[in-house]
Amino acid sequence: MRADLTRRSVLAATAMTVPLVAAGCKGVGGLGTLPKAAPDVAVLHHAIATEQALITRYHAALAGSPGLAGTLGPLLAQHREHLARLTSMLIVPATPRPTPRPSPTATAGAARPRAATLAALEAAETDAASSLVRRLALAPPALAQLLASIAASEASHALLLRRDGAAG
Amino acid sequence: MTGGTSSAGTQSASTGSASTGQVAAALQSALAAENAAVYGYGVAGGQLGATARKLALQDWTAHEMARDRLQAMLTSLGVKPVAAQAAYQMPFPVHGTRAAISLAGYLENQVAAAYLGVVALDDPRLRAWGAGQAQACALRATTWLGRTAAFPGLTSGSATAARPTASP
Repeated sequence: MRADLTRRSVLAATAMTVPLVAAGCKGVGGLGTLPKAAPDVAVLHHAIATEQALITRYHAALAGSPGLAGTLGPLLAQHREHLARLTSMLIVPATPRPTPRPSPTATAGAARPRAATLAALEAAETDAASSLVRRLALAPPALAQLLASIAASEASHALLLRRDGAAG
Repeated sequence: MTGGTSSAGTQSASTGSASTGQVAAALQSALAAENAAVYGYGVAGGQLGATARKLALQDWTAHEMARDRLQAMLTSLGVKPVAAQAAYQMPFPVHGTRAAISLAGYLENQVAAAYLGVVALDDPRLRAWGAGQAQACALRATTWLGRTAAFPGLTSGSATAARPTASP
């Protein structure tokens, strides 16, 4: 998955760079409005990979603890919204990816206690939120706002997971 | 909490230049939203029972502290902080506990939206600070509503905070 992402990053970056080079050769002033590429493409791909990893974790957790569907379902749905919004910002759209399925190992290790499952997801949400915030400076303004909003959503997911863990 | 000129505020003050206007505008919007939230929490608190009122008081204090900090940041930029209105029109009638809780959730989303304006600035410290404030709003909203949002601060159709009932 990582190799695939890297390849698409390169594709997106190439798509952005080539016209600029061409414009430089021909001296076409009208192309000065082309968006700048590069670091923000990497930030976007990082955010997409983060969401995909979280979705995979939620699938694994649900496979192991179907009783948690009431708690985890709405949070998983919001991660899908995050992923869709982020993917829509790609210049070269990611090819539609089949819904991630829990790996056999994740399913096999299913009989995790409820509290441990919730605690692991809470930690993953917190990590995801802080990794998005750490990359804010590299993003153009609109993407920075989206990342900050998604990070806030994930911090609140962690809050709900902690409460449910305490209640269970 | 006054006089606590934040490191973020000092930093942006030193950058001077044309961006100062953008910084001031974003901070003024955040301050206007905080002013409306301070007023709104007063309205909500009046409708709540003892336990919930204690939580409302806690959040009201958090918004007052944020307001004071924004005022200090603006003052350090040489800009006069926008004043609070005498009264604000609530987005819906606030009678009873349910409406009061909905109001708290609404206010937090409005304030989060204003802080996303700070996240759009160039200064990385202000970005990080704005993201932290938006996250705090999302956590308070989740505490009140018992649910999370996919895009705190981005979803609301009406981007403006609670309107003043009349010009002073």
